[in-house]
Amino acid sequence: MLNYLLRRILLTIPLALGVVFIVTISFDLIPGDPAALILGEFATPAAVAELRTSLGLDRPLLVRYVAYVGDILQGDLGRSIRDRRAVTAILGETFPYTIQLALAAIILVLAVGIPLGVLAASRPGSWIDNVIRVASLAGLSMPVFWTGLVFIVIFSVNLRWFPVSGTGTWRHLVLPAVTLALPSIAVVARMTRATVLDVLREDFIRTARAKGIGESSLLYKHTLRNALIPVVTVLGLQLGQMLGGAVLTETVFAWPGVGRLTVFAIFNRDFVLMQGLVLVLAMVYVVVNLLVDLSYGLIDPRVAYS
Amino acid sequence: MTSRVFAVFLFVAVLSTGIVYAQKTLTIVRPTDPVSLDPQLETTAPGSWVFSQILEPLITVNQDMEIEARLATSWEFIDPTRLRFTLRQDVTFHDGTPFNAEAVAFTWNRAFNNDPPGRWKALAGPVSGVEVVDEYTVDIVASQPYGPMLLTVTMPYTGVVSPTAVEAMGDDAFSRAPVGTGPFKFVEWRANDRIVIEANDDYWRGRPALDRVVFRTVPEEGARMLSLRTGEADMVLMPTPSDLPALEADPDFIVEGAPGVGVFYLAFNLDRPVVNDVRVRQAIAHAIDRELIAEAILEGGGVLATSVIGEPVFGYKDMELLERYPYDPERAIELLEEAGYTRGTDGLMRDAGGEILRLDALPSNGRSLKDREIAEVLQEFLRQVGIEVELHVFEWATTFSLMRGETLDYDLNSFTWFTTTADADYTMYSNYVSTELPPASWNRWRYANADVDEWLKAARASLDMDERAELYGKVQDQLAIDLPAIPLYGSYEVAVLSADVTGFVAHPIQYILDLFPVDKP
Repeated sequence: MLNYLLRRILLTIPLALGVVFIVTISFDLIPGDPAALILGEFATPAAVAELRTSLGLDRPLLVRYVAYVGDILQGDLGRSIRDRRAVTAILGETFPYTIQLALAAIILVLAVGIPLGVLAASRPGSWIDNVIRVASLAGLSMPVFWTGLVFIVIFSVNLRWFPVSGTGTWRHLVLPAVTLALPSIAVVARMTRATVLDVLREDFIRTARAKGIGESSLLYKHTLRNALIPVVTVLGLQLGQMLGGAVLTETVFAWPGVGRLTVFAIFNRDFVLMQGLVLVLAMVYVVVNLLVDLSYGLIDPRVAYS
Repeated sequence: MTSRVFAVFLFVAVLSTGIVYAQKTLTIVRPTDPVSLDPQLETTAPGSWVFSQILEPLITVNQDMEIEARLATSWEFIDPTRLRFTLRQDVTFHDGTPFNAEAVAFTWNRAFNNDPPGRWKALAGPVSGVEVVDEYTVDIVASQPYGPMLLTVTMPYTGVVSPTAVEAMGDDAFSRAPVGTGPFKFVEWRANDRIVIEANDDYWRGRPALDRVVFRTVPEEGARMLSLRTGEADMVLMPTPSDLPALEADPDFIVEGAPGVGVFYLAFNLDRPVVNDVRVRQAIAHAIDRELIAEAILEGGGVLATSVIGEPVFGYKDMELLERYPYDPERAIELLEEAGYTRGTDGLMRDAGGEILRLDALPSNGRSLKDREIAEVLQEFLRQVGIEVELHVFEWATTFSLMRGETLDYDLNSFTWFTTTADADYTMYSNYVSTELPPASWNRWRYANADVDEWLKAARASLDMDERAELYGKVQDQLAIDLPAIPLYGSYEVAVLSADVTGFVAHPIQYILDLFPVDKP
């Protein structure tokens, strides 16, 4: 187990190096000079050249890459070329908002998506199954910028239950979290339904039922646990995506998270901020995936880490 | 009994403290967060709206474009390159530092001498810095006689910073929490969420009526307008134009606007042989229904442009484009035929060699109001007279670097130009003097007219404002004939307010937001 963990953690190093390299190259390939953008529409070319030098943009790509990797090893992600703040400070300010929103949404997904899926699977073909299937299809199909605005009109403008946008209280969190969670709830409910139905057809369930185990115990203890591995995999992917920043949800609800920061970094050609962002997001994915892999062992004791 | 009286007393006391401490908070929503709150790094409107509440210049221009005193009491040219200001003696910065000539010199020389220099240095022309004369007198100095000098000093970027605060905090921390002499003090900035400023009790013009102002960032335009309806916001900056007619009719809201100093235009690249022919440019001017664009597409978010500079700008003269080039597709076709093109059965113009008259356009996209829609409408207008236009659409960063390139491989481009200093020199000199070519400067049309060069140079060097205005008038008359660019619409600076907000007047210069006289019940 410890060996396994260590190996997984060591494997992230080449991954991180690769990710940083790709970001460095891609900012070199896309047109648009960061220095010209910083100095704005009326700068002289001499000033632009000067700024390119002071940003280190005149150095060859590989030199920049090696220097950046050296900085990362010292815990320094550089300074945003746009507002000159330390990238670590910007990320430290932005990530808590994203984590808050992602956790609230994933809790909703767990609390609503899995029970809905089990409920649908327990009565396949019934009206309740049909309602859940249609509703989840709708949840998947509606774009978040649309559901977000509809929620604002209903719950903020007409009912006045929640603020239109912004941060501050738990009431600010409700609408964005629900909006962000909806498609994931739908995915998880459909996934849970499918896998629970599969497990219900297995021999050991028939045996358990023959032994006279109660339906609810059969469903939640014997079936769900066995059906959970694919569901957890999907949940991990969803959480990874949410932690990567929900650009549309954040935009509609003016939520100051990582998604909007990413868009800002791209449009301003803030390659230093972008490098830091991509690096941290890649690490977030690695950690979430690792947690998912480790949870397999908890769900199914037969899974061995060797 | 006594306990009941006491309870009532307590109740009233609690109520009255509630009333006493009720804060007048004005919440403003706008689409983007500033990059920085230091004019060294930030010259766009979202930044200036905030820092100009905190940092004050020596003089400013009011909504009628008249110069008003701020930190200076009087000013005069003591020679053509030297403008002397007498400063107020009763002002202190928010951190208690006394305001004096040293602070002014510190602010200006910081922008001019730092590495890299302040972003606004490039806007100041030949102005080279500030010299201290005595504790309350400074000279702003230029390397050559500079007519626009006075208006340059009014730019909000020249707001004076507290030298002790900059030194104590360092440039980076100061750019997130500036300290000045203005009517409001900085409180907090949560990136992409909100910036809070509060009344400066010791402000030299008296305490502002508002206690606090909260600038919130709401990127989605629907959500922005809805937060006004729910009362979460008192003011929306950069509102959605299509919402304006409904809001104007609604007694709960005030729509407050002023024609601005920006002009959106269609520009020609005179290095390209086809549009180098003035008849082709004139034909295109006749082919475009500019009034229709202003009415049908802008939805009140802009005004029909009457010159290459905005009406509030010093030196403006109506170019009489509607009289010179009325919308007349027939006349456009005639002009193209005079220029040697013939119209085929497919409606397209062809040159003598049988080549279709095709123009490459580099339109502004997502940068100016409705720029993408306007590009498509222009394409259609030109097709009507037989000109085929290919639109090369990129996101702004790419378009911008292409526009600034040494060579420009497009016949047409479009762009909004703001005369930031409100002086014609700022736009005219860099755009129309024949030697001001990109990438060093902004003559993107490669326009060359010896008379215009001479007039613009004379207007820059002269301190006689009447003489300058006359010279700029001559330039605009000439541009109406040579037509290197067709002005399409002028910016309209508009804010929507909740009806109970009083004292707000929109400013023609988009960078200036005057919150000092604003109040709400």
